[in-house]
Amino acid sequence: MEQPVLDAIRSRRVARRMSDAPIAPAQLEAVLASVRWAPSAGNRRLQRFVAVQDPTTIHLVRMVAPGMLQRPAALVLICIDSQRVEHFRLPRQNMGVYIDVGCALQTLLLSAHAVGLAAGPVTSFSKAAVRALLNFPAGLSPEVIVCLGHAAPDDLPTMRRRKLSWRDLVHWERFE
Amino acid sequence: MNGSGKAQTTWVLNEDEALELLAFLVTAARTQVDEAPEYGPMRLMMAAARLVETLQSRATVSTRTFLTSVADRMPGLATPMSDAQDYGQRLDALCAALAAYLDAHFRTGGSQ
Repeated sequence: MEQPVLDAIRSRRVARRMSDAPIAPAQLEAVLASVRWAPSAGNRRLQRFVAVQDPTTIHLVRMVAPGMLQRPAALVLICIDSQRVEHFRLPRQNMGVYIDVGCALQTLLLSAHAVGLAAGPVTSFSKAAVRALLNFPAGLSPEVIVCLGHAAPDDLPTMRRRKLSWRDLVHWERFE
Repeated sequence: MNGSGKAQTTWVLNEDEALELLAFLVTAARTQVDEAPEYGPMRLMMAAARLVETLQSRATVSTRTFLTSVADRMPGLATPMSDAQDYGQRLDALCAALAAYLDAHFRTGGSQ
């Protein structure tokens, strides 16, 4: 039985070193188009996305993102639109807003994988600096930067941790 | 005190590179406030690795030789989380090698 979705989930990797090969506009648009299919609590769509292709802007964002090991060809910033959060009267500490960010992130990573792009998320960046560099309007908060490009042949190995099976992560039924 | 007259006048970072390193250090300080403590030494070593990369193309021969000898001993993206003792020992060895080179460089003017 073919399991293309499961195969994609299993074969996706975070690229931490990228080549300088450009990405096709159609690839970037396909990735951006996919995110509207990401789950969103109450279908509220509290996230907005900022795509960056200008090499100088990418270079500047990379300067203020210590976690950005890659030299990506494009960036997609997943942002929370606090005006929409307030519109729905969600309390500031509502974690669902961030769960939606995670859903959007995984959707972006998988869709990039599907169209043959390498991708890597970055959360270690200065939000204040990114807001200033991209002239963000008030109320829009960058939460995750998704780097897009092509994996370099000498891409860095994955971070070494103890290998876990799904059984290590799952507890069945009730806790005693 | 500087044992290296030549090194005093040799720029090893240009303005753009220095600004980039400054941005990394300042923003890493900010992100570290919210991140796992194990990332602290990793970010510092990332900054050190960037400095080494730039230094290697412009430093004096003796410094280049030293940097080449220690470059592959730097922990890179490793963190102390997986094996703090080993991580500490690797940094101790790096610190000792650095101290030995600093001693030679500044006492004898190792700018050849």
